[in-house]
Amino acid sequence: MFQHLKAVWTFRYFWASLVKMDLMTRYRKSVLGIGWSLLHPLGMTAVFVLVFSQFSGENWKVYSQLTLAGMAVFGFLRDCTLQGCHALTRNEAYIRQSPLPFGIYPLRTMLSNLVHFLITLAVLVVLIAILNSSLDVFAQLWKVVPMVVVLAVCGWALATVTAFATVYFHDISHLLELAAQLLFFLTPIIYGREVFDKREMPQVVDWNPIAAFIEVIREPLVKGEVPGWGTYATVFGVTAALLGVAFLTIHKLSRRVIFQM
Amino acid sequence: MARIDLTDVSLTFTLRKTRNVTLKEYLLKGLFLRSVNPKVPVRALSGVTLRADEGDRVGVIGHNGAGKSTLLKLIAGVYPPTTGTRQVTGKICSLFDIALGFEFEANGWDNIRYRSYLQGETPKTLAKKLHEIAEFSELGEFLNVPVRYYSAGMLVRLAFSIATAVEPEVLLVDEVLSAGDMAFHAKAYDRMKQLMSRSRVMVMVSHDLGSVEQLCNKAYWLQHGAVMAVGTPKEVVAAYKRSIAPPDAAHPVGAMMDADPAPEDEPAAEHAGV
Repeated sequence: MFQHLKAVWTFRYFWASLVKMDLMTRYRKSVLGIGWSLLHPLGMTAVFVLVFSQFSGENWKVYSQLTLAGMAVFGFLRDCTLQGCHALTRNEAYIRQSPLPFGIYPLRTMLSNLVHFLITLAVLVVLIAILNSSLDVFAQLWKVVPMVVVLAVCGWALATVTAFATVYFHDISHLLELAAQLLFFLTPIIYGREVFDKREMPQVVDWNPIAAFIEVIREPLVKGEVPGWGTYATVFGVTAALLGVAFLTIHKLSRRVIFQM
Repeated sequence: MARIDLTDVSLTFTLRKTRNVTLKEYLLKGLFLRSVNPKVPVRALSGVTLRADEGDRVGVIGHNGAGKSTLLKLIAGVYPPTTGTRQVTGKICSLFDIALGFEFEANGWDNIRYRSYLQGETPKTLAKKLHEIAEFSELGEFLNVPVRYYSAGMLVRLAFSIATAVEPEVLLVDEVLSAGDMAFHAKAYDRMKQLMSRSRVMVMVSHDLGSVEQLCNKAYWLQHGAVMAVGTPKEVVAAYKRSIAPPDAAHPVGAMMDADPAPEDEPAAEHAGV
């Protein structure tokens, strides 16, 4: 594992420059360019506020903050998972030329998504400060930054697992797309967890690790509260398990995956 | 010290007759059944032993599909051997599939950076080479244009210029001696020779038997993944030529036709010296 990480670090200029290129080409030819990274989450939040805040008990100011935070975290994990599916197949030419450590390719996917996630998070923090007319949210950042690091690790692990899985079974990406859509509605993002509680389905949220990942970012920023230790335990536990699976996948398959490509 | 040591290396690809089965096929045609979609083992290399020490220039010759490129990729570490051992000491520089692996949305300059970093350069070491690479490619203003607008020849020029700007210890070359158009070809050939002279160990795969004789001090002839002959380039090239000449040819290929022609499919290795 440490040898792998060392090798990834050795080629840092390679993957860092590719991440930079991914960011530059994402909005190629668009007039707003990377401005879309700012506008997209704001626009989506505005749409959800317009449509759903009528049904939600929260006032629109709180609702918009909760929704934007939820969508940012969910979107990051979803994009790492779905784009991760193509992390190896997309970089096949490099894999066939040089035996670089395989962790580099999902890292490329995760990092370009992380930059967009951080932009959205910055938008959220500014939005919270404006809507609440208070700078208190900045005092909460120290509780969130370590969780962003954990989230990034989790995103890399997810991308790694799906990258290898896709080489063996190409339909994974389509199946995961459906699963992501289902998870979106099973996670308290555009509505609060009370929707599930009222229907006596609290376990949908309790057993949904995505909800925990959202809470450790959303609760401190939007409500100024820290979720219970159980939520943190879920986040760390799931990340550690995924990280284990990711390294095991690399260890077991890195010598074999080339023959499937 | 740079060194390549392959001992009794074999490589078997296991392929399914139908690759990348979609879910639809999986369910409709029942391809998950082994009898419908059996595994097909393909033996690409068979008991290859190859040694190259500091200063060696090794040429590998043989028919298409003989396993030459696979051997090079195995030395590079892209393919792990199925059996046998592979030991390579020294920084590897591979020149194969060089026209692949471009980021088509990025311009020429950026692609120079990506590929150089892939070859182990750092921003500091690259700064010294960047303009030399651009100059050698002769692409001028085109370097500011996304690579997807390049012609195939321009891509090869760029790829060759980047790939040959390294300080190789173990140099692996696959048929890149004929890069670009006529004018570029002569320049590329000179640069290739310089690169080869700078490398500490070189393995070259080529159909150009003259180049193998001229540039190498040791040669391997591969057939169906097995080593048919090993020795000095002159001896091995002669043995190879004998094998491809028709037995009753009036004007046999090559000058050394005194021996009986070897049957093409003969599996046993012929040690022509060394």
